[in-house]
Amino acid sequence: MNAIDTAIRAAAASITVKDLTKAYDPQTVVIPPMDVELKAGEFTVVLGPSGCGKSTLLQMIAGLERVTGGKILIGTREVQDLEPKHRGCAMVFQNYALYPHMTVFENMAYSLKVSGTPKAERAERVAAVARMLGLADYLHRKPGQLSGGQRQRVAIGRAIVREPGVLLFDEPLSNLDAQLRHDMRVELADLHRRIGATTVFVTHDQVEAMTLADRILILNKGRIEQFDTPKAIYHHPASVFVAKFIGAPPMNILAVTGDGSALRLADGQVVANAPLTGAYQLGIRPEDIVVDGKADGHAVKAALRFREDLGSHSVLAADLGGSIVRIATPFGMDIVDRLELLLNFPTSRLHLFDAATGRAIPGALGAQ
Amino acid sequence: MIENARSLNIVASLILLVGMVYILGPLYLTLATATQSYEFLLRNGLAWYPGDQFFNNVARIFTETRIPIQMFNSLAVAFSLAIATCILSFLSAYAIVYFRIRWAGVAFALILATIMLPVDIRVITTYQVASNVFSPVNALLDVSGLNGLIAGIFGAPVQLELSVLNTHFGLIAPLAAHGTGTFLFRQFFRTLPGDLFKAARMDGAGPIRFMVDILLPLSRTSFAALFVLTFLSGWTQYLWPLVASSTPDMQTAVVGLARLLPDSEGEVPDFPMIMAGAVIVSLVPLLMIALLQRYLVQGLVLSEK
Repeated sequence: MNAIDTAIRAAAASITVKDLTKAYDPQTVVIPPMDVELKAGEFTVVLGPSGCGKSTLLQMIAGLERVTGGKILIGTREVQDLEPKHRGCAMVFQNYALYPHMTVFENMAYSLKVSGTPKAERAERVAAVARMLGLADYLHRKPGQLSGGQRQRVAIGRAIVREPGVLLFDEPLSNLDAQLRHDMRVELADLHRRIGATTVFVTHDQVEAMTLADRILILNKGRIEQFDTPKAIYHHPASVFVAKFIGAPPMNILAVTGDGSALRLADGQVVANAPLTGAYQLGIRPEDIVVDGKADGHAVKAALRFREDLGSHSVLAADLGGSIVRIATPFGMDIVDRLELLLNFPTSRLHLFDAATGRAIPGALGAQ
Repeated sequence: MIENARSLNIVASLILLVGMVYILGPLYLTLATATQSYEFLLRNGLAWYPGDQFFNNVARIFTETRIPIQMFNSLAVAFSLAIATCILSFLSAYAIVYFRIRWAGVAFALILATIMLPVDIRVITTYQVASNVFSPVNALLDVSGLNGLIAGIFGAPVQLELSVLNTHFGLIAPLAAHGTGTFLFRQFFRTLPGDLFKAARMDGAGPIRFMVDILLPLSRTSFAALFVLTFLSGWTQYLWPLVASSTPDMQTAVVGLARLLPDSEGEVPDFPMIMAGAVIVSLVPLLMIALLQRYLVQGLVLSEK
């Protein structure tokens, strides 16, 4: 561990958001009052579909967007009215936003130059960061002469050279190809493990969220749907929105009706025993459905529509009482030439959601 | 579509040839006449073959006419015009692109409108304003009734007067307010990634610092292109310098050349000397293009390098 690692670890600050709102005018509210606390040194991924307000939230923390109401605290300091440079945040942008006319060294040293850091210290700190990111040989090149991954690393270097209390990422990997994205993800995780900076990472890619995050903050139309560890979010989604957003293919959601003793599908088949009445939404992950096997739940009949073989596993799509259910099965399972499937929904793997609000109903069935 | 028909090629070449004759012919005539003597002209008319009097004619331009001082005027006007236009355009485009201004769209539309209203169209009103730069203020005071009030209190209405006619400033200012440069810079700024401004803010650079450290170096080629274009248009301006300058010492070279024609009827103009003058006056813009044409092309393709 060298000096810059320790410095950043020491600078890491928590972020507290209190009653934060953002509205462009009274009709277009991007973020209704939001309360959330991100711990110091934590890697938080803000996940949501486009237009959910995740970038706006990030830019408000950074100071690039004005807040409409509420407070943002970095550490114990209220920052919502401060200029970006006084907040101790650094940011990595989607398209890198490197200064095209400056060398890698000048790009990374620019913030230090603006803040009046002596020349010798500037060179020393840039060199330390460049060594850490494997950029030492490229310091005299211009961004145009670098590959996508190297530019991304320069952008990260430019951010951490200031030893910021908070490191912000705005969809930094979405411009890279699949292989590079995977490599950068690993690098980012490794970097965070080493420097331990408080990190807020905005993305719409659930794989990035699941692999990088200590905790995932899922936003929908500016509201927090769930804020929890990747594991908890996957296994205990707090709402239909979260259940459908996480997982590939996503969780199956079926409309069911309780008759007091059992939950029935639209076509009358019983999927689970439960002392419930009224309309509900039932969720089950594609990999939890058992085909033709014995499990602790009820068996239902479904018509096979099509299958996709993905190498590691196959995804079947079946028509169950009018809605399509996706099932992940081990690769090569012998189900060709068959039109009817017997599906078993293990009760311990079922998720129950309120039909109207979409919120999970804990304790009603096995998985919650 | 690429046509390879032989007959089409021949026709195209012929058209090209005719066009070249029309352009190069007068140019050749100018050069050839500039090398003959006045006596030769009186005997034979315009020259179709070169003579040996060129340096003699050039010497006469420098000794017998005001062209040298007028070339200095042209240089001052074209240079100041180019500088002023570059600064104005850069600043206005910066404001329009990078700041959230309520009426930015309207402002930009008005700036663009100046492209459609060159000095040649508004020469009379521009002349009126130049003859008294306070005339709009006076008119405003009159219309708003303020002058009536002032006259009531002080006994006389306010009538400010300042003429910029026949000054370098008066030659330059009306030409500098032109939207082409703003448009050029705006288009260039919009090709730059928008996050650049945010990145600079995160790095602690304010608007001025961003402009100087980031935007200015990136706009180098656009500056060069605009500078050359404005310099050339300033150098070749005819109408405005003609009406705005009244003494030979304030006129520009292009106006001076036209004034070399004799005023009285029937006298044969000294075409060899005039043509030599035309050659000298053309040298400056020619040199400009030769030196800076690389930037001219780079700046106009509007791409970030």
